[in-house]
Amino acid sequence: MTTSTPHLPGAPIVASGAGLAADATTTRPAERDMAAPRGISIALQDVSKVYPNGRRALSDVDLVVPDGDFVFIVGPSGAGKSTLIKLLIRDELPTSGTVLVAGRDVSRLPRREVPRLRRQVGIVFQDYKLLPYKSVRDNVAFALEVTGTPGRRIGPAVERVLALVGLTAEADQLPSQLSGGEQQRTAIARALVHEPRVVIADEPTGNLDPLISWEIIQLLLRINELGTTVLMATHNAEVVTALRRRVVALEDGRVVRDGIGGYHREY
Amino acid sequence: MLRFLLFSIRRAWQGFWRNAVMSLAATVTMTLMLLMLAGLVIGLSGMDAGLRFVEQKVEVQAFIADGTPQSRIDALIAQVRALPEVAEVDYVDKQQALAEWQQQLRAQGKPDYSSETGTNPIPASIRVKLRDPHVYGNVVQTLQSAQGVVTDVLETQHVVDALLSVTGFLRTAGVVVLVLVGVTVLFIVVNTIRLAVVARAEEIEIMRLVGASDAFIRWPFIFEGLLVGLLGAALTLGILALAAQPIGQGVATLVGQVPIQFDQNLAQELVLVVGGAGLALGGLGAFISVRTYLIR
Repeated sequence: MTTSTPHLPGAPIVASGAGLAADATTTRPAERDMAAPRGISIALQDVSKVYPNGRRALSDVDLVVPDGDFVFIVGPSGAGKSTLIKLLIRDELPTSGTVLVAGRDVSRLPRREVPRLRRQVGIVFQDYKLLPYKSVRDNVAFALEVTGTPGRRIGPAVERVLALVGLTAEADQLPSQLSGGEQQRTAIARALVHEPRVVIADEPTGNLDPLISWEIIQLLLRINELGTTVLMATHNAEVVTALRRRVVALEDGRVVRDGIGGYHREY
Repeated sequence: MLRFLLFSIRRAWQGFWRNAVMSLAATVTMTLMLLMLAGLVIGLSGMDAGLRFVEQKVEVQAFIADGTPQSRIDALIAQVRALPEVAEVDYVDKQQALAEWQQQLRAQGKPDYSSETGTNPIPASIRVKLRDPHVYGNVVQTLQSAQGVVTDVLETQHVVDALLSVTGFLRTAGVVVLVLVGVTVLFIVVNTIRLAVVARAEEIEIMRLVGASDAFIRWPFIFEGLLVGLLGAALTLGILALAAQPIGQGVATLVGQVPIQFDQNLAQELVLVVGGAGLALGGLGAFISVRTYLIR
């Protein structure tokens, strides 16, 4: 989908993180035959965030995520995962350092460009954030309506993502009539409907039982295989350890580990 | 652009009915505030009409000595009429003056003994209406200088000045009260609409997260505010239309002879003021309320 995106302005950062990025992805069969140079979805350089109340949420974070990567962000509560996500969607601005998302320097982005950035970044939350009075189909269509998409393009795009997440049959139901897993799939469909370059999932399985959690993870993996970069913050140790993907561990606002591995540090 | 407008209006309509209780609360508040505003406008315009009526009464009156030849009186009238400050000159002869006086006595319910004297004690007079009640110019001097014709000039200047300063004060006070009430109304309406917006905070958050531009978030709410304002104004005007008859009667008995009319003009003015204030308050209230969610 977006893997063929050519180079972007963050070139110097690529060099500093290239080794890591290569490590993280060499084992992925789906990516191996894509020989073309990959773009960078997310790049953070020396990023620190201090909130106005003096709390230091992130310190000197460096992170490079190439297009098509699948990354787990782990760490205890308060380690800075949520702040990191807020920086990526420009809900917060870094106190210092550079944040590049989909080729844009987030902190230099003019206000009116922010909505455009957010359409490149689909986001999924633990609590789904669905509108209770809208059907599954309308919840997904809402994301297109409020961004001024022409009506004739909304219908097909919605049906396409509903088919992708497997909710075509439930399209006319309200969120309250769905299971937690189905609600989360609706939220994922909404995050995908703009065909974003990156999908960020903040504890997407936090409210779900283990079996349903696996369904959601499978769905995110599938989305990743189709070419979308996926960044998933989670506490779900079982999933992280079993998948052996790239794991970025945060502690007290610092990156303490970045590489293929399990949820916990391995000695 | 058209799609955007249709989208905004449709969402405003949906939003209004989805939160019906909040919307109705805002509409009722708006109606009460507009009624207050309209009451003030009616009161002020009534007061203004009264003041203008009183000011029109201002005139200079010169009493004519009995037995003055008509030619000298006519000459004096012509002389006064030529003055630039003068709007109108009336001559009231002894007969008319007596008739007026008798009428006043009757109106006050006092016994009239004038017919028993057999003579007419009331002098003839010249009544001068001024173009501007503030500007006397040489009117009084001209009248006083007519020796042998004018016995006395009614000295009303300082009375009129006092009256004018009171009416000026009342007008200013009216405008000040209107502005204060307007500001209060704005605060109350903004606060009520803010409640309606806060109830939809989640929806606004989702819109921001999926990349809706500020205009797409803001305008549906502004249209919703305008709808509240429009409904409030319509309700207010409806109530006023129903109440116009009894109020008009009440005022008529209260003020008596002062001609305050609830005429076409005032009605049009009210439609404009109430409609304009409703729309402006609703739109502005929504604008201010949504702004807090957009600034980051």
